[in-house]
Amino acid sequence: MSPALIAALPFLGALLPALAARAGRNAAALAAGAVSLAAFLGLMSHAPAVLSGTAVTARLDWVPALGLSASFRLDGLAFLFAGLILGIGLLIILYARFYLSEKEPLGRFLTSLLMFQGAMTGIVLSDNILMLLIFWELTSLTSFLLIGWSQDRPESRQGARMALAVTGGGGLALIAGMLILGQIAGSNDISVIVTRAAEIQASPLCLPALILILIGAFTKSAQFPFHFWLPHAMAAPTPVSAYLHSATMVKAGLYLMARLWPAFSGTPEWTVIVTATGLATILIAAKIAFFQTDLKALLAYSTVSHLGLITFLLGLGTPAAATAAMLHILAHASFKAALFMLAGIVDHAAHTRDLRRLGGLARAMPLTFALAAIASLSMAGIPPLNGFLSKEAMLTEAALSGPLVAAVATLAALFSVAYSLRFLAHAFLGQPRAQLDHPRDPGPGLWAAPAVLVAIVLASGLAPMATFGPLVDAAASATTGTAIHAHLTLWHGLQAPALYLSLAAFGAGLMTLGAWPRLAALWAATPRPDAKALFDIALAGLTATARRLTRALQGGGLPRALAIATATLLAAGTWAFLSAPHAPGTRALLPLQAAPAAVWAVLMAATLATAALHRDRLLALLLTGITGLLLAAAFAWTSAPDLALTQVAVEVVAILLMLLALNFLPRRTPAESAPPRRLRDLALAAAAALGTGSLAYALMTRDAAFAPISSFHWAQSKPGAGGTNAVNTIIVDFRGFDTYGEIIVLGIAALILFALAESLLSSRTATARLAALDTGPNSGDPHPTMTAVALRFLLPVALTVALYLFLRGHNLPGGGFVAGLVTAIALLLQYLASGYVRSDARRRFDSHAFIAAGVLIATATGAAALGFGLPFLTSGYTYVHLPGLEQFELATAALFDLGVFFCVLGAVLLSIATISRLAQQTREREPG
Amino acid sequence: MEMLFATAIGALTFTGVYLMLRLRSFPMILGLTFLSYAVNLFLFAAGRLTPDAAPIVGTTDAPADPLPQALVLTAIVISFGMTAVIVMMSLGARLEGGDDRVDGQDAP
Amino acid sequence: MTGDWIIAPILLPATLAGLALLLARTRPALARVLSLAGTTALLALALWALTTTTAPLAYRLGDWPAPFGIVLVLDRLSALMLTLTAALALPVLIHAIANGRDRQGAHFHALWLFQLMGLNGAFLTADAFNLFVFFEILLIASYGLMTHGGGAQRLRAGIAYIAVNLVGSTLFLFALATVYSVMGTLNLADLAVKMADLPEGDRALMRLAAVLLLLVFAIKGALVPLHIWLPGTYAQAPAVVAALFAVMTKVGAYAAIRFGTLVFPPDLPATGTILSDLLLPAALLTLAAGAFGALAARSLPQAASFAAIVSMGTAFTAIAGFTPQGLAAALYYIAHSTFAGALLFLISDLAATRPAGSRLPGALAALFLTAAIATVGLPPLSGFLGKLFVLQATAPQAALIWPALLGASFLMLLGLSRLGSDLFWKPQGPPAAPLTAAEVAAPLTLIAALVALTVFAGPAHDHMARIAADLSDPAPYIAANALEGTP
Repeated sequence: MSPALIAALPFLGALLPALAARAGRNAAALAAGAVSLAAFLGLMSHAPAVLSGTAVTARLDWVPALGLSASFRLDGLAFLFAGLILGIGLLIILYARFYLSEKEPLGRFLTSLLMFQGAMTGIVLSDNILMLLIFWELTSLTSFLLIGWSQDRPESRQGARMALAVTGGGGLALIAGMLILGQIAGSNDISVIVTRAAEIQASPLCLPALILILIGAFTKSAQFPFHFWLPHAMAAPTPVSAYLHSATMVKAGLYLMARLWPAFSGTPEWTVIVTATGLATILIAAKIAFFQTDLKALLAYSTVSHLGLITFLLGLGTPAAATAAMLHILAHASFKAALFMLAGIVDHAAHTRDLRRLGGLARAMPLTFALAAIASLSMAGIPPLNGFLSKEAMLTEAALSGPLVAAVATLAALFSVAYSLRFLAHAFLGQPRAQLDHPRDPGPGLWAAPAVLVAIVLASGLAPMATFGPLVDAAASATTGTAIHAHLTLWHGLQAPALYLSLAAFGAGLMTLGAWPRLAALWAATPRPDAKALFDIALAGLTATARRLTRALQGGGLPRALAIATATLLAAGTWAFLSAPHAPGTRALLPLQAAPAAVWAVLMAATLATAALHRDRLLALLLTGITGLLLAAAFAWTSAPDLALTQVAVEVVAILLMLLALNFLPRRTPAESAPPRRLRDLALAAAAALGTGSLAYALMTRDAAFAPISSFHWAQSKPGAGGTNAVNTIIVDFRGFDTYGEIIVLGIAALILFALAESLLSSRTATARLAALDTGPNSGDPHPTMTAVALRFLLPVALTVALYLFLRGHNLPGGGFVAGLVTAIALLLQYLASGYVRSDARRRFDSHAFIAAGVLIATATGAAALGFGLPFLTSGYTYVHLPGLEQFELATAALFDLGVFFCVLGAVLLSIATISRLAQQTREREPG
Repeated sequence: MEMLFATAIGALTFTGVYLMLRLRSFPMILGLTFLSYAVNLFLFAAGRLTPDAAPIVGTTDAPADPLPQALVLTAIVISFGMTAVIVMMSLGARLEGGDDRVDGQDAP
Repeated sequence: MTGDWIIAPILLPATLAGLALLLARTRPALARVLSLAGTTALLALALWALTTTTAPLAYRLGDWPAPFGIVLVLDRLSALMLTLTAALALPVLIHAIANGRDRQGAHFHALWLFQLMGLNGAFLTADAFNLFVFFEILLIASYGLMTHGGGAQRLRAGIAYIAVNLVGSTLFLFALATVYSVMGTLNLADLAVKMADLPEGDRALMRLAAVLLLLVFAIKGALVPLHIWLPGTYAQAPAVVAALFAVMTKVGAYAAIRFGTLVFPPDLPATGTILSDLLLPAALLTLAAGAFGALAARSLPQAASFAAIVSMGTAFTAIAGFTPQGLAAALYYIAHSTFAGALLFLISDLAATRPAGSRLPGALAALFLTAAIATVGLPPLSGFLGKLFVLQATAPQAALIWPALLGASFLMLLGLSRLGSDLFWKPQGPPAAPLTAAEVAAPLTLIAALVALTVFAGPAHDHMARIAADLSDPAPYIAANALEGTP
């Protein structure tokens, strides 16, 4: 079976247990078991080749640009780990089938478990660092789901989040580390990287890469100072703890260190960081483990300690130490997974895991006791069990590294003895506790799995060479890149220093356990940092900072956003302008003239008065309107009659609309901003004014660097576009597409007004407020009959003017847009004069249709050219004489302008109708 | 004359920015209106000032640049549409929410 | 003239919107049919453009030659953006229709079609002022969509959204006026050609114009400190609209890429690396502001909004250098984050329609998990690959950029895992209604798109690399415009 398939099988089969669960719990477990077994057998099929030193590979290119390929490589190291993952996985599935209660959805649990299994297998089989990263983060994610399995318990959710934060965060560091590693090694293939130790170690980026990678490995393997998450992950159901937190996931970091051992080991940085971290972890965790009262917590810290031991061995950098590490990985996985399962059995039987409440279970649960005894004695390093083998190997290596290291290692062994025996003694020995509700041994479903592991503990202790020998050799050879034939034996002879260290540790360990009551009291009395509390404080602090920062940015609402934006624009603009050469313009200035100067003076006064008097809204609006009209005058003076016309028309409609809207808004703006704030706004406004003013001056006083394209428009206006008014030919022809967009904007605006009114009228809050509104003197003005009559008389005149403007637009100022506005203004005045209601009732046509017709006419006119094989909006024209009017042109552009006319008319009318509908709501309550 | 236009643009910008930064929707909208005045005049002036030369063929040989005029026309119309929408929206916010503040603070 | 179909992505939705107004005002089912048919046709057109476009194709509106008339240019980048727009719009529209989200106010479908028209036009036009016009179309349509259904909070957020964008539009006009005043032209290709010959005395003005344009695009693209409008807008908008908005921010990125490679490329003496100089710090701050916001978020829509900011920070980080590698990475990431961002909003829509405190369906939790994985950029989805692309492209400045990118992922991981566990694990109330087929259809489609981007990451990135190569050599784009000299 291809190594790729071995890693993929658990994923492919992940849904099976969830589906099979409909047929019952056994079916679900069988489905999961079958998947795991298939992968396991697939792995075993390669045993002969791998154990003889041949690697099996598979490769599929995925994203070559990233150097990401789905390459897999099964060598001795991968084989050892994959064997653990899949083999223990099978046992866990069996155990979980009987461990989880009937109420819990076993199918879903096993689905998550299989996905985790696949991710884990993927890590150890990947030969590509990016592929490894993918599986690495997947284990964090799937373990998040598994740890948080008991969703209703806060400690599960917190434990899951903490594990994800630490291991997922470490994974992010690992990403950076791996990318650097790939870069300095010149390849993302692990099998290549491990051969490039010289290049890697020569690079200045070697240390950053190493540190980042080690952060990933240490977080995953719960090494100090990242060890704190593991005990809290014990909120997971016991099968998860046994699988993830003893046998597999926490070993991923160890795997990674072993995998990259040839690339880094031997450098002083590696040796110092890794061995020191290992030793610190061993000691700290062992001490904490000894004092735990929760069975699983004790096991959790002991796991941390043992992982530290393996880290320490890998850090030493010698092949013998690496071999010892492999041996201990195997040994630890076997006894620790068994111990977790046994702890789960005790929990089920006694309904507690608290060592203070447990005791004397040996008599009630003899089988459990026997299994636990073997497993915990192995953990304590008692011969002839496999834990003794690996502890001896560790002490041998420690002794070689100097007396200080040997002392620390012995101290760790001492604690190991102490907590292992405490586990056994305090749970199983002593007087049976009366308050325990008749605990007894479970059925074979639960004990079978630990029993298998305990059998392995025994067998590998008694016959190490026959059981673990080939595996350890293959793994250690693959790790170190040198052929290793370890001599595994219980007895190294009397001259071995490890023996004496071991004996000393055992004796002292027993004494320590004997002193338990006094030491426990001392422990309880010593203040010590609670890692979870610290983590929580850090996280809460981070979240609070995030909230403060976010509030600071988001909390001020629109004014602050706009102030920040204005300041940014000014700063960036100033910087951009000042950081390059600028030559002042040389264009001749226009001489000052009296009339425009007078207009200027009024405009300045109106503008600044608006700012000063803006609290009186009606006045401010009036001043705004005046400013707009003066602007039209400015346009007119500087040769822009079309602009002036449009500005006047638009201004009238806009101010009228705002006037109507003011009926629904407060009449005055309260003085709310404090003086400093007003000062800030004044400063911003002044700076912006200086910016736009001087920029305008700079532009007006210089000639364009290149001939403007408008000379083409001027030259082609008559011959090309058939009109003498160049502004109009640009609008409906040269740049007709802009106009096409512009009328659509206007149409959409009207649609939005309509939709908003609809939603307001269907909202109870809004209609209640409307009904309560006093529409005030603005609109409450009785509509003088005279005005109404006069305006009604004006209507036909206005419509004629509109028609005139429309027809002449192509040659003289005017056009569809202005014509539409004039028509609309006429109707708007009509409406103002006769009051909201009547006007609304008179609306015989649907303004939506106008807008739609406008858009469709413009589109169809433009598209007509397509029929002649010409691009959209290509115009054709001919001249027509109508009696009573000057000669005008009948161009397709005029038809396009008709679209503009309809769209403008429809949009303005619809807007009016909309406001009138709101006004009706206030009117209806008025008497009469 | 250029100086008059430049100072007018500056003044329009001044009122525009100052009002835009107020705490209520109505002055804020007036501010935006002034800003659009400012930019329309700016866009127009960027085509340079040419009195008595409306770009109508047959009436002059050295016309004012017609293109900025056409662009300003489009801009005027678009900003009218935008103003209509934001006016209506502030009206809606006032009717639904009870006040016309825009600074995210609750009404006093 | 061949190639009329280039303009179809603009005319088709406009025509259908007109028809929807004319015919379907009283027949809502017809409006649905029109917008569904239109969006589907747009997707077909876009895919056709995506697969067939090699050299840039120009379309002269009104048959006027460039630079005097307006020209549309369809190149590989435009085709990609058209495809992203349509491929996002179709599932989101289906979600809106299948779950009745289009019936909470008037004119949803007309606005929808106009919105697509505006987006497509912005991606196609090769004229700076016409780009402004299409910006306005897509913006005003978005104002309508954003306030669809009304409500005090939404309208308030709408005012802020419009006001900020009006300032943006004003700024756009200031910039365009400056550009025209100095350069005498508005056609992008023409600008590109003339910028090379810019007299030294005009440099300061054009640098100013370049920066003003960049700031306009930064407002659209939610770059710090011009991002403040986004969280309120997205969190208050109807979720389906917020989902469509996933492509709106990309308009800013698109425009920045277009101008930064065509008109103001970093090797241009006149403007130099001015865009990069501003973009990179802004992008890094955007990452930080978005990530802290995601951690601070108290609700799913809020978190999704800040995640959108992070995604823009990531994209702009990759864009900032305007290198081929960075652009390819940015484009892949943009494709990914368009779908991922929308997915998160659709899920928040499904969560929001169920009573608070009820136990949400497991299937919804699974959807959320997938969306969160995609958003944070964890394996195995395209977000991870996208992040790797960006990391790799920014390797020369790794010490500065990588901590920001990875740190942002970390904060989002913290934020989303807390939100997710609070939302899906914590509530112990009565179980909420299970998901219906109508509810999962669109999210699953978006997930399928993400999976496709993941599985076919190789060919997808190859295509992005081709686009990036096109962008670094603008000669064919300029040639397609067939520029004529000014008389």
